[in-house]
Amino acid sequence: MKIQVVPAEPDIEMPEEYYEWLADAMGQEAADWARLPREEREKELRWYHENFNTPDDLAVWPPELGGGEVASTY
Amino acid sequence: MLAKRGGARIWLGMSAPLDFLGIFAGRLRQAEISFAITSGMACVHYGLQQTTKDSDWIIPAEDLARLRGLLSRLEGELPPWRISYRQICGAPLEPEYMSHGWTSHLSVWDSAGSAEHKVDIFSRPPRVRGEELSADAEGWASQHVVAQMKKTDRDKDWPMVDGLGRRLWRSGLAVAVLHLADFDSLLAAWGVLGEATRRQMAERRPLLRSLSGPPVLTRPRFDLLLMLERLLWERVNRHRYRRYAGPWKDFYRAWRCEQPVWPTDEPFALQHRGLNDAARRHGLPTEPLAGPERSRLVQAAVDEILAMERFTREDVASVLPPVYELLP
Repeated sequence: MKIQVVPAEPDIEMPEEYYEWLADAMGQEAADWARLPREEREKELRWYHENFNTPDDLAVWPPELGGGEVASTY
Repeated sequence: MLAKRGGARIWLGMSAPLDFLGIFAGRLRQAEISFAITSGMACVHYGLQQTTKDSDWIIPAEDLARLRGLLSRLEGELPPWRISYRQICGAPLEPEYMSHGWTSHLSVWDSAGSAEHKVDIFSRPPRVRGEELSADAEGWASQHVVAQMKKTDRDKDWPMVDGLGRRLWRSGLAVAVLHLADFDSLLAAWGVLGEATRRQMAERRPLLRSLSGPPVLTRPRFDLLLMLERLLWERVNRHRYRRYAGPWKDFYRAWRCEQPVWPTDEPFALQHRGLNDAARRHGLPTEPLAGPERSRLVQAAVDEILAMERFTREDVASVLPPVYELLP
């Protein structure tokens, strides 16, 4: 498997409805964060990384080996 | 949802996962190792996830020997890096395993005081077709690649798929219709695609055919089929990782009887040799999804869903993506 190098995808301006959808799907905080310019988003993320020692996933096993399994809601 | 600052558990060690991404990417570039940063960190890059610290890297199997060489050199630098397989290490970083869908799990400390960086490596990322594997010059996996990888059985991943689809559509890329998960967005996008593109996309995502009509499905019916389509992806993924997790856990239990301490304190090259020897000695299969296993696996997922008695065979047939799409 080779990785093709392609032009960077532009940091597109998304319409207001996208952020409304984000707030609905992921929460207002996620939507507010997403509205920030990339540098600001990273600055905020860096602050959280420096101040919270929260693992990405509480499962002992990584997702590929059965960790993070969430019961189906169907 | 992020915890509030007032409730923070303050961590005294330095944590700089974003800096580490740049540092490690730079080292890979210097060593002429191809890579793509994917999954959670790529979602952060695309403005879709806030909290991830671990990093996921796609590194082609043909570059793994160079990667192992780089990791050993980094351990010899001043100040030295520390590199170790994690306890749940996945497969050894060897092409025979990694080119068949295994992942490898490392911990990396890029200085004495550094935080532990959890680095997961894929050579053949799940659900990504080889010809579509792409990244930009900075190394970010394309949104389409990330969206394919996020079609897992974890609830938290699906809004990412939809979000990446929305971004792809805003960029005018037809491939967005493989990921959008909303009736109105899909109907609008479908309406402007040409016939040839529609055919190509519907081959990969049969659900899209129902948008052509006449008559176009009602929204409740479409939403139900959308739910079924996601359930298929989820069940296929669950079966897929069971084919890896089962043999891996058997291997690990057998190995732990002779090697109770893992990971060891040895340099990475010795750890790797030990893991690789043990994997072969205990028969860890290199290719859990060989030959007809992919079709069997998809059939097992379909049978499971039919056994729920919530959907008919016709429902399943109308949304089931081809095997090459589910398990390329």
